[in-house]
Amino acid sequence: MVAVQPFADNPCRPRHFKPPPCAPVVPEGPARQALETCRSRLFLTSLLFACVFAAVALRIVEVVVLEGGSAQSHMPRFRIPAPPAPARADIVDRNGKLLATTLDTPSVYATPKQILDPADATRKLVKAFPSLKSGDVYAKLTSGKSFVYIKRRLTPREQYEVNQLGIPGVQFQHEERRVYPDGTLTAHVVGYTGIDNSGFAGIERGLDDTLKDRRDPLQLSLDLRIQYVLREELQRVIDDFTAKGAAGLIMDVNTGEVLAMVSLPDFDPNQPGASDPDHPALSFADRMFNRDTLGVYELGSIFKIFTVAMALDYGTSTLASTYDASHPINIGRFTIGDYHGKHRVLSVPEILMYSSNIGAAKMAMAAGGQKQREFLSRLGLLKTPKIEVAEIGSPHYPGKWRDVNVMTIAFGHGISVTPLSFASAAAALVNGGVLRQATLVRQPPGHAPQGQQVLSPKTSEQMRKLMRLVVEHGTGTMAAAPGYVVGGKTGTADKVSGRHYADRKLLSSFVGVFPINDPKYLVLTMVDEPHPNKQSHGYATAGWTVAPATSRTVQRIAPLLGVEPVDESSPEIQRALTVDSLQGKKIEAY
Amino acid sequence: MIRVATLFWLVLVSATGFAMFGVKYQVQALEDELGRTKRATTAEEHEIRVLDAEWAYLTRPEMLDAMNRRFLSLSPIATKQLHTTAADIPMRPVPPAPVEAAAMVAAAEPPPPPGASPNSPEGVPTLTAALIPVTATSEPPPTQSALRAMPALLERPASAPQLGKAAPVKAVAKPATPHRAKSLDDLIAQIMTSR
Repeated sequence: MVAVQPFADNPCRPRHFKPPPCAPVVPEGPARQALETCRSRLFLTSLLFACVFAAVALRIVEVVVLEGGSAQSHMPRFRIPAPPAPARADIVDRNGKLLATTLDTPSVYATPKQILDPADATRKLVKAFPSLKSGDVYAKLTSGKSFVYIKRRLTPREQYEVNQLGIPGVQFQHEERRVYPDGTLTAHVVGYTGIDNSGFAGIERGLDDTLKDRRDPLQLSLDLRIQYVLREELQRVIDDFTAKGAAGLIMDVNTGEVLAMVSLPDFDPNQPGASDPDHPALSFADRMFNRDTLGVYELGSIFKIFTVAMALDYGTSTLASTYDASHPINIGRFTIGDYHGKHRVLSVPEILMYSSNIGAAKMAMAAGGQKQREFLSRLGLLKTPKIEVAEIGSPHYPGKWRDVNVMTIAFGHGISVTPLSFASAAAALVNGGVLRQATLVRQPPGHAPQGQQVLSPKTSEQMRKLMRLVVEHGTGTMAAAPGYVVGGKTGTADKVSGRHYADRKLLSSFVGVFPINDPKYLVLTMVDEPHPNKQSHGYATAGWTVAPATSRTVQRIAPLLGVEPVDESSPEIQRALTVDSLQGKKIEAY
Repeated sequence: MIRVATLFWLVLVSATGFAMFGVKYQVQALEDELGRTKRATTAEEHEIRVLDAEWAYLTRPEMLDAMNRRFLSLSPIATKQLHTTAADIPMRPVPPAPVEAAAMVAAAEPPPPPGASPNSPEGVPTLTAALIPVTATSEPPPTQSALRAMPALLERPASAPQLGKAAPVKAVAKPATPHRAKSLDDLIAQIMTSR
C-alpha cells in the first residue's frame, strides 16, 4: 500500500534499525491518515495490555503479600485438614478430673453400589460386629441405595477392626459423642446431651451455650472424691432404711461453691434412657428428678434455725427468753404438739436442742408474720434459686401469711423450698451473715463472690453456738464427728400427700456445719420416706437416719478438705461455743 | 555483541525456569509433609482424648474403691491418726547403742510405696489424692519423716562416738552399711529388700 519510508515510524521495524537522522516527512494524504490510525490503534492495544498486566501484578501482590500466602489452601492439592475443634468443651471437677468429654465416634456406612461382593462383605462385617445379624446386613448391602448405615457410634477398637477388613465401599462418617467416664456419680449435676450433642439436662443444658463456645475445659466446683463419699453414704441410708430416695449437698459456706451434690435414685448419663438393672421398677422421671435443685420440700424442723435466727436478729427474743411448751397449741383444725416433748417451760436454746414445735411457733408469733416473711425473703427462701443446672424448682409458700402459717412455717411446714435454697440460707446463717449465691462453677482460690449481709454477725455467732448445742446435747448427737466440731439441726417432717399430712411417710433431714467454731463446710442430707429398722430401735427420724450419715461423711471428707481435727474439749473451743445464757448451768439439769 | 547478550539472556531464562521448578517441587513436598504432620497431630490429639477418657474411666472412685478393697484395704484416715501440731509428735527415742542402728533401719515402719499414700482414705481416688495434697495443712505423714531420718542413720559412721556408750565398736562391722541410694525410689527399694 504505502511504500514511502517504511521504517521510520513503523512500529514493526527491526529493533536495531536506526532511522535516518532526518525523518522523512510523510506527505499529507491517505498514507499519513493510515499511519495515524495505526498509531492510535497500537496505543489503545498497548494500554489494554498494560491494564491487564497491572491487574495481574496487583493480584499477585495481593495474594502473596497481603494475604500472607493463605490462598494456597484454595488449591485442592494442598488442602490441609484443620484440626477439628472439639465441638463442646470438656467438663472437669475442681481437681481437673474429667467428668464429660467429647470423643470422635465414627459411624460405619456402606455404599452398596460400590460393594463388589456383598456376601463376603457381610460375612466380614458380622464377624467384626457379632451384634449385627447377617440377614440384615446382606439386605442392606444389596439394597442398591447409595448410603446405608452399618453401625453407628463405633469404639476406637471397632473402627480399627473395620479398617483392617478393608472392604471397598465401606466407609466412616465422623460423629462426635459425649462421654461421661464417671457415669452415674455426677449424673444430676453434669446432666447429659442428646444425639446432636446439645444439652438436655444439668450443667450441659444450663450452660449449653458456654460449653458450645469455649474450648478450654469448664471447671466445676465439684470434688469427685467428696461426691463419691456423699453418694455412698446416702446410698447406705437408702439401703439401711429402705427409703424411696435421698439427696445431699456439700457447700463451702464462705464461697457458695457446691463441692458435692447427690440426688438418688440417679441415672447413667451415658445411656439416660436405659433402665437401672438393679432397680428396674424405677421410672425414668423418678431417676431424672434432681431432688437438690428441682424438688421442693417441707423440710420440717431444720427450718427452726431460721425461726430462732429471725427472733434473735430482730431482737424479739434473746437467748434467755423462755416459752411455755407444756401444752399443745390448738389453732383452727390444727394441733401443734412436740415430738420430743418436755412439757415444761423451755428457753430458746432448749427449743432448738429438743426441737420444740410449740416453742418455735410461739417464738415466731412473738416476732410476727411480717418480720418472719421479710426475714425468709432476705435469706432468699421465697424466690427461685439460681444455679448453673437447668432444673430449678420454685418455692411454695402461702400467699396470705396468716397466724397459722406463721406458726407452721416456724417449724418448717407450710413452706416448701429446694434443698439448694435451704443450704445457701443456712450457710449465710453460720458464716457471719453473708448470703452468697450457690454456684457449681469453681471460683478462683481465695476469691469469695460478692455476697449480701442478711443478718448481723452477732446473730450468726449465736446460731453457731446453738447449732453446736443440738449436736452436743440435743436431737443430733449422732451427727457428732470427733475432732471436727460438727454443729447442726435435725428435721423430721411428715410428708404431704394430697391435702393431708401422711403420718407414716417421713422426710428426714439434717443440716450440719463443720467446724462450727470456724465454719467451712455445710453438709445437708435428706432422706425420703425412710422406714425404721432394728438398729434404729424403730425410729426413722433424722437423728437416727441422716445424722449418723453426716457424721460418717464428715469424718471421711474432712481429711480430704484439709480440715484439721481439734480437741473438742480444749478451753478455746469450749469458750467459743458456750451459750452465754447457759453459762454455769449444767445442760442435763434442764 | 548481540550473540553474547542473547546467550546471556537465554542462560538466565533457562536457569530461572529450572530454579522455579525446583522451588515449586520443593514447596509441594513441604506442603505434603505439613499436611501429613497435621493429620498425624490431629490423629494423636484424638487418641489423647480417648486415652484421657479411658484414664478417667479407669480411675473413677468406684473402681479405685473396689481395687482398694481387693489389694490394699486402706481405710479412711481416723482423727487420731492426724497430728496437727509439732507438740503432738512423740520424740524419737534415743537409740541405746549404734549396734541397733541397722536393726532400727530394718525395724522402722516399712514405708508403703509412694502410690499407696496412707492418707488416701478408702474409696478415694489415689490419683487425685496424689495430685492434690490431701491434707495440705496437716503435718507430713509419718512415712516422710521416717524417710528423712533414714539417710542420717545410713550415713552415720560405724563408730558413732556420740551414741556409743559401752557398745563394742567391732560389732558394727556386720550391719549392712548399704551404698547410698541415688534417689528416694532407690532408698525405698533398698529398705524393702533389706527387710
